[in-house]
Amino acid sequence: MEANSSAAANAPAAKACNFKFRGDGSEYFKIWIVNLLLSIITLGIYSPWAKVRNNRYLYSNLYLDNNNFRYLAEPIPILKSRIIAVLAFVAYTFISQQDPSAGLVLALALTLAIPFFVNKALAFNHRMSAYKNIQFRFKASYGEAFMVFYIWPLLGILSLGILYPMAILKMNQYLVKNSAYGTTAFNFDATYKDYGVLFLIMIGVGITIGLPLWGISLLFASLNFVAPVLMMALYFILFTYFYAEVTNLFYRSLSLGRHRFKAQLTLPGLARVFIINAVLTVLTLGLYLPAAKVRMTKYLCDNLCLQAHGSLDNFIAAENDSITALGDQFGEVFDFGV
Amino acid sequence: MTVIEGHFLDGLSSKRIAARLAFSPQQPQLVTLHLDHQADTPTRIETQLKDLRIHSRLGSTPREIALADKQLFITDDHQAIESWLKLAKSKQRSGWLHKLENSLPTICFATLATAVALWACFTFGIPAAANFIAFKLPEFAQKKLASSLVLLDKTIFQPSELSAERQLALLELSQPILANYSELNPKIYFRSGMGANALALPNGEIVFTDALVNLVEDDKELLAVLFHELGHLQGRHIIRRVLQDSMVTLVVIIATGDIDTLDLLTGLPTLILDLSYSRDFETEADDFALHAMHQHGIHPQYFATVMQRFAQLDNNSKKQRAKDKPLRDILSTHPPTSERIQKAQQHAPTTAP
Repeated sequence: MEANSSAAANAPAAKACNFKFRGDGSEYFKIWIVNLLLSIITLGIYSPWAKVRNNRYLYSNLYLDNNNFRYLAEPIPILKSRIIAVLAFVAYTFISQQDPSAGLVLALALTLAIPFFVNKALAFNHRMSAYKNIQFRFKASYGEAFMVFYIWPLLGILSLGILYPMAILKMNQYLVKNSAYGTTAFNFDATYKDYGVLFLIMIGVGITIGLPLWGISLLFASLNFVAPVLMMALYFILFTYFYAEVTNLFYRSLSLGRHRFKAQLTLPGLARVFIINAVLTVLTLGLYLPAAKVRMTKYLCDNLCLQAHGSLDNFIAAENDSITALGDQFGEVFDFGV
Repeated sequence: MTVIEGHFLDGLSSKRIAARLAFSPQQPQLVTLHLDHQADTPTRIETQLKDLRIHSRLGSTPREIALADKQLFITDDHQAIESWLKLAKSKQRSGWLHKLENSLPTICFATLATAVALWACFTFGIPAAANFIAFKLPEFAQKKLASSLVLLDKTIFQPSELSAERQLALLELSQPILANYSELNPKIYFRSGMGANALALPNGEIVFTDALVNLVEDDKELLAVLFHELGHLQGRHIIRRVLQDSMVTLVVIIATGDIDTLDLLTGLPTLILDLSYSRDFETEADDFALHAMHQHGIHPQYFATVMQRFAQLDNNSKKQRAKDKPLRDILSTHPPTSERIQKAQQHAPTTAP
């Protein structure tokens, strides 16, 4: 990796292409609220149309190098898949009531099927995302998904956290290395050490600040009221720092062909976004959610760029094969997000 | 000739080509697309309006026009596209949705109506649905919620340190009451840990902690707590709360449109709703307890007394911080203790029985 990045730094052709989100909080709110009301009035039947419209707005306003992304999914297939997924869920609940042992078998079958459905859901979402009229792709094996979702996290726990950075690394490798833009594959070159160092920093800071804080609150009863507040502040800062650094590491390690990415999220910048969004969302009882999403996306884009080595005009589209929205919708109904 | 400037993407490579869409006002159905390939002589694509798919207008995002074979023409000139479609009397003229999304009265109405609909759903719809499932679909409700005492014993509880005689005395005292609620299958257990507390599990197990038993001066105060827990069992509160929380999550997913919205953001309103449901159930259990105590000839003052003891315990440990502040009310699982005591005292008959 060392050789790689120094070679990249020496290459004269590296051109920074910025990401830019051109959407607007109030404009997105208008679209979101009208479509939400239509979903409510139709008792949810309209919701695939609302999803498509919201996603279209978010994708179409995302620009890289002055070209925008697009969301391509059509509402009807999503509606069909949603109906199938909901029926399957109802059948599952019904059967597991009638016969708990059959329910157990079904639950086991579903557990085994989850990696399959996540693969399908990711394939669908990638396929429905396009940039410069070239679609993204995702194709992963069942075995790899199974390892990433069950075995690696389990090893992380059994090793008392020592292998946990490895589990996160494997998850990101699964997400990135199976993705492609047209026929060009993404690559990911982060190491166990990269994630391990992040975890060590978190644990170190947590202990060196958290423990004394806790000790002081035990010694001085009058600080009883202040200590939990400081603890919460510490937790928030650590969480935000981790989020920023994991995101930076992710993009630093990501490459597409010869092109690389660079993210520069900072603790103060991200904390500001989190706090403003949380306060306004609570004060408006959730009405601020769409604007919060826009603010977050804008912040991410403003701190993200692609370092192009050569032209971005030479990506080639992949072959067509059929794909359904079913995996995507199973994911939503049975609640396994990635 | 009318010309609309934009760019063209052929769907095979990521090369962007400057392009112009042209038509004559006399025959707006016939369209020519001029492509400015670099260096090459300009290429043309002849097509017809009916073979194009013109994507609906959405905010200020670029207008997309799909040709055959995944080719795409993109322009920011919304005005020109609209007048072209109007001229050609095309059915693809986007319309009503974009108009709705840009009309101030519609936005105001949608905001208000959505707020009212969601409020009604959270305050009436979801509790009513959970109530229906819990009582009318008993098989569903009896689903084991992994809430047996065994699990709690492994995690937070230790064996009780109360003397065998004390335990026996309390069991004997409560026996006639439990007999009146045999359909709930109630059983009493004593454990230590968790501070002064009592809880009722869906299968009828009621746990008193040592700290609670040692807190009271009169055992009738414990009966007041027992009635409160019986109220939870009678109302199937744990099951209803689980049902309501999952329905809230479902509605939030539908409303926000996806599951990967920032958990922090959707989590907060969900938590506040869950706590509000919890307080409703506590009030319901209190009402049940006061009513049942009246029936069993136990003075409601005992309920008020034990509540006062809880309040005192609370105040001693927290030095009365944030006493009954509104924020604390919103973020609490139980209604304010002062309110609960007042209610018990109002329930007390003017002359003691």
